[in-house]
Amino acid sequence: MAKQFTTPVVIGLEVHVELDTETKLFCSCSRRSAEGEQPNTRCCEVCLGMPGSKPVLNKKAIEYALRLCLAFACDIDQELIFSRKSYFYPDLAKNFQISQFERPLGKHGKISLSDGSTIGITRIHLEEDPASLVHESKYVLVDYNRSGNPLCEIVTEPDMESPEQAREFMKKLNTILGYLAVFHHQHCVIKADANVSIKESGYVRSEIKNVTGFKEIERALFYEVVRQKRAIADGETLVQDTRGWNAEKGTTYRMRTKETEADYGYILDADLVPIDITEEMVSKVLHSMPELAEAKKKKFIEKHHIAELDAEVLSQEKKLAELFERVAEQINPILAAKWLRRELVRVMNYNKQTFDDLAIDETHMIELLSMVEKKEITDQVAQKILEELIVKPFSPKEHVREKGLQAVSDTGELEKACKQVVFENPSVVKEFKSGNEKSFQFLVGQVMRKTQGKADPRMVNELLKKLL
Amino acid sequence: MATVPSISETISQFKRKDITVEEHTAKALDEAKKLNQDYFYYNVISEDLALDQARALDKKAAKQGIQESREKLFGIPLAVKDSICVKGIESSAGSRMLKGYFPVFNATVVQRAMNQGCVVIGKTAQDEFGFGAFSVNVGLGFAIPRNPFDKQRTTGGSSGGGVGITQKTGYAYASFVESTGGSIVEPASFCSVAGICPTYGRLSRYGLIDFSNSMDKIGTAAKTIQDAALLLEASAGHDNRDSTSSASPVPQYTSFVGKPVRGMRVGIIKEAFGEGVDPGVAASVRKGIEWLEQQGAQCDEVSLELPIKYGIPTYYLLGTSEASTNLAKYCGMRYGAADPLEGNFNSYFTKVRSHHFSEEVKRRIMLGTFARMAGFRDAYYLKAAKVREKMLQEYKHLFSTYDALVSPTVAIQPPTFSEIEKLTPLQHYMMDMLCVGPNITGLPHLNVPLPFSKGLPVGMMLIGDHFQESKLIQLGSAVEEQAMKHKAIQQ
Repeated sequence: MAKQFTTPVVIGLEVHVELDTETKLFCSCSRRSAEGEQPNTRCCEVCLGMPGSKPVLNKKAIEYALRLCLAFACDIDQELIFSRKSYFYPDLAKNFQISQFERPLGKHGKISLSDGSTIGITRIHLEEDPASLVHESKYVLVDYNRSGNPLCEIVTEPDMESPEQAREFMKKLNTILGYLAVFHHQHCVIKADANVSIKESGYVRSEIKNVTGFKEIERALFYEVVRQKRAIADGETLVQDTRGWNAEKGTTYRMRTKETEADYGYILDADLVPIDITEEMVSKVLHSMPELAEAKKKKFIEKHHIAELDAEVLSQEKKLAELFERVAEQINPILAAKWLRRELVRVMNYNKQTFDDLAIDETHMIELLSMVEKKEITDQVAQKILEELIVKPFSPKEHVREKGLQAVSDTGELEKACKQVVFENPSVVKEFKSGNEKSFQFLVGQVMRKTQGKADPRMVNELLKKLL
Repeated sequence: MATVPSISETISQFKRKDITVEEHTAKALDEAKKLNQDYFYYNVISEDLALDQARALDKKAAKQGIQESREKLFGIPLAVKDSICVKGIESSAGSRMLKGYFPVFNATVVQRAMNQGCVVIGKTAQDEFGFGAFSVNVGLGFAIPRNPFDKQRTTGGSSGGGVGITQKTGYAYASFVESTGGSIVEPASFCSVAGICPTYGRLSRYGLIDFSNSMDKIGTAAKTIQDAALLLEASAGHDNRDSTSSASPVPQYTSFVGKPVRGMRVGIIKEAFGEGVDPGVAASVRKGIEWLEQQGAQCDEVSLELPIKYGIPTYYLLGTSEASTNLAKYCGMRYGAADPLEGNFNSYFTKVRSHHFSEEVKRRIMLGTFARMAGFRDAYYLKAAKVREKMLQEYKHLFSTYDALVSPTVAIQPPTFSEIEKLTPLQHYMMDMLCVGPNITGLPHLNVPLPFSKGLPVGMMLIGDHFQESKLIQLGSAVEEQAMKHKAIQQ
C-alpha cells in the first residue's frame, strides 16, 4: 500500500467537527454547555444509555452534515443509516458508539488547494460524541454532559504532501465551516487524528490521536514531520505507532505500537430507522447554502477586478466578504478592498476582535469610505474613525462634521500652519538644512498635529519644501 | 372455579360502586403475594405504587362522579413484564445485573395504560433479558415461575410470569408482555391465555429493555381476546420517542371481536403439522380450524418453507448479534449491579459481567459477538439479514391470497422441569420453531387457547400481514367462542 507514495511527506487527516445544533444528536438535551455548568447535569436517560431508552435523530444534524458533504462535493448516499461501533471504553455510555459504517452520508469528495493540488475526501459521516473523562484523584471520573453531541467526521485521503498543505486544508475547512454556519468557533470543538509518514522511512505511519483545535493540529503535524526526519537522520528505524499530542510541551509521544486492526463488530442500529435522503432534500439544502469562499473570490476578481491576494483574504471570512460586496457596490472596489483587507483587519486584530463578534454597520463603513474616496477626509482621520467605529457604532459623516475633521484643502490655511511650524522649530530647520532628512519628517508631523491630521501629507510635503 | 369478570364487567362493578378501586387493588395485591409463594409470577410487587394509583382513581371518580370516568381500563390491575420500565419500580429484565435499577421514566405503553386507568401490580418473571422459552433461564437469584395447571411444568417463556398470573388470577387483568422470537404466544399457549404479539412498531418500544431491537415487540395478554385487544388499543400508536413506532392509525381492535368470519381466507401451514408435532396438539388445532370453516371461513393448506427451515438459525444470528451490543452497556458503572472498585476499567467490567450474568446470557453474548466479527459478518449476520428479507417475501406472497395463516403455536404441550433439564441448548432453541417466523419478519400473531389435550393447554397461532391485527382478532375470537362453549359442555 505504501509503495504508491512518492512525495517526501504523506499526511491524511480524520477531522471531527462538533456541529452547532441546539440539541444533542439523539435526545433533546442542550448541546451547548452553560456557564459554570456542573458535571453530569446536562444529560438524560438517552445520552446516559439507561436501559429502556431509545435514540431519536436530530433532524438539524442531517441538514448540517449535508451542507458539509455538499461543500466538499461529495456523492451523497440515498439513505442515512446508523451503525453501532462496539468497543468497551469508560467514556461510552452504551459501550458502543452510534456512528456510520458501510454507507457514510457522503463520500468521494474533494477540495482544491492554492497550489493547484486536490485533496480527496474519503468520507463524511455523522456520529455521537462520547462523554469526557476527568482525571482527578486516583479515579477517572466521567462527565456525560458532552455525551451524545453531534459530530461530523471528515476523512481525507492521504493526499497532503506537507504540513503546509495540511495547514491550508485546515484553513479551508475552517473557512467552509464559517460560511456554512454549522460550527461555532467558540462553542464547538474541532479535533483531528492525523496519519503522518515520510519517504525516508519508506512511509512508516504514525497516527497522532485526538489533537484539539486548528492551531494545535498544525503544530502537531509540523512537529511530527520534524521528529520523523530527525529520527531517520539519527539512524533510527521508525515503527508504526499511535501517538498522543502534548500541547504543553508541543511534542508527540508514543501511546502504543503494533496496532492490531480493531474489530468493532459493526451492526446496524435498528433503533434508528433508515432516513431517505431525497433529491428534494439535498437540493433544498443546496439552495439554502450561501455562496462559498472559492466562488466569492472568483467573483471578486472577475467582477470587481481586485488583486488576487486581496480577493483571497476578503473571501476567507463570510462576514468580511459580505461586507466587501455591499461596500463595493457604492465605493471603488479597489479602495474598498484596501480598506477592508488591510485597515479593518488591522484594527480588529489590535482590538482582538473576531469576525464572529464584528458589529460594524455597513452604512457606516460606506459613509466612511465614501469620504475617503472623495478626499473629504485624510487616511489618517479615517483610520482613527475606524478604530472608534469598531468599538461602538456612530455616523462617521456626522462625527467628521461635529469635530471639524474635514481635510484641509485650503492652501492658504495650510501654508499658514507650515510657516508657523518653521518659525517655532528653528533648530530642527537648521538640522534639516545641514542634511538630516529625519528632521523634515518631524516638521511634517508637527504640521499634521497642528491640523489634527486633517491635512493632506503630500501637500504639506510640498509646501514645507517650498518654504525651506 | 367461579367465572372471572371481564375488564368491562369489572369497570361496571366500580361504576355501580360495588367495590372501590382501592379495595379491588388491595385484593389483587393480596392474591399476587399469595400466588407468588408457590408460583413466582412476580419479580417485584409494586404495592405502594398500585395503592397510590388506586386511591388517585377513586378520588378522581369521587370528584367528577364515577359515571363520568372514561378511562378504558379504569382500575384494572396491570402486570408488566420485568423488561418494561416502570418509573421508580425496580426493572431488572430478570437479571441480577440490573438489580437496583429504578428507571427514571415510564415506558410509553405503561404511561398510556396508566392514563387509561390501569393500576400497576408489579413486574413479572421472565427469562433473563428474554433469553429462553421456558422461563427457566432466570437471572441469578430469581425464582422460576410455575405453570398454573401443574406446578411441575413450565409456564413457557420468556413472558412466563405475565401469562401465568393472567391465567391464575381471579380478577380481570391486563398484562404487558414482550416477544422477540415467540415469547408472547408460546407461553400464552402453555398457560392457555389470549396473547397478542402485534406488528413490529405497532406499540412503542420506548422503555423496553432491549434484547434485539429489530425484533422486540411489546404485546398484550389477557384471559380473553377481547381484553387483550382492549389493552392493545389503549397503548398502540405512534410515539416520537421511538423512531420505529408506526404512525399508521390505530383501529378499534375490540370492535372486531365476534365479527363474522364468513368469506375470510385462512392458510393452514402444512409443515407445522408434520413430524415432531404432538398428535393431541395437532388434533386440537384441527378442531379449531373446523370451527372456522363451520362459520364460513375458507381454509386451505399452504406451504411455508423458509421460516420453518431457516427461522431458528436466522433468529439466533440476528437476535444474538443485536443482544451482544445491547448488553454491552452493563458494566457496573451507572446503574444496577456493581462490585467494589478494583483494578482498571477492563478488569472491573469483566469481573462485573462474569459475576452477574448467568450462563445463557454469556452464551448469547459470545454467539452474537462472534457472528458480527470482521470476517464472519458476511457469512452470518449479513446473510441472516438477507434470509429475513426472503422469508418476508414468502409470507407476503401468501398474504396476497390469505387473511391469516394458522398453525399450532407450539408443537408440544408444556414440559416438566425435569424434561427441560434434559434438553440441549439447541433443543431448547427449537421450541420456537413455529413462532420465530412471524417474529423475525415483524408480522402480528395471536395465540388462541383451545380445548385441552391430556389435561394440558393447547394453543392455536394465527399470523397476519403487517398491521392486520384486526383480522387476527376477528378470526381468533370466532375460535375462542367455540372453545369456550366446548369447555362449558365438558364441565
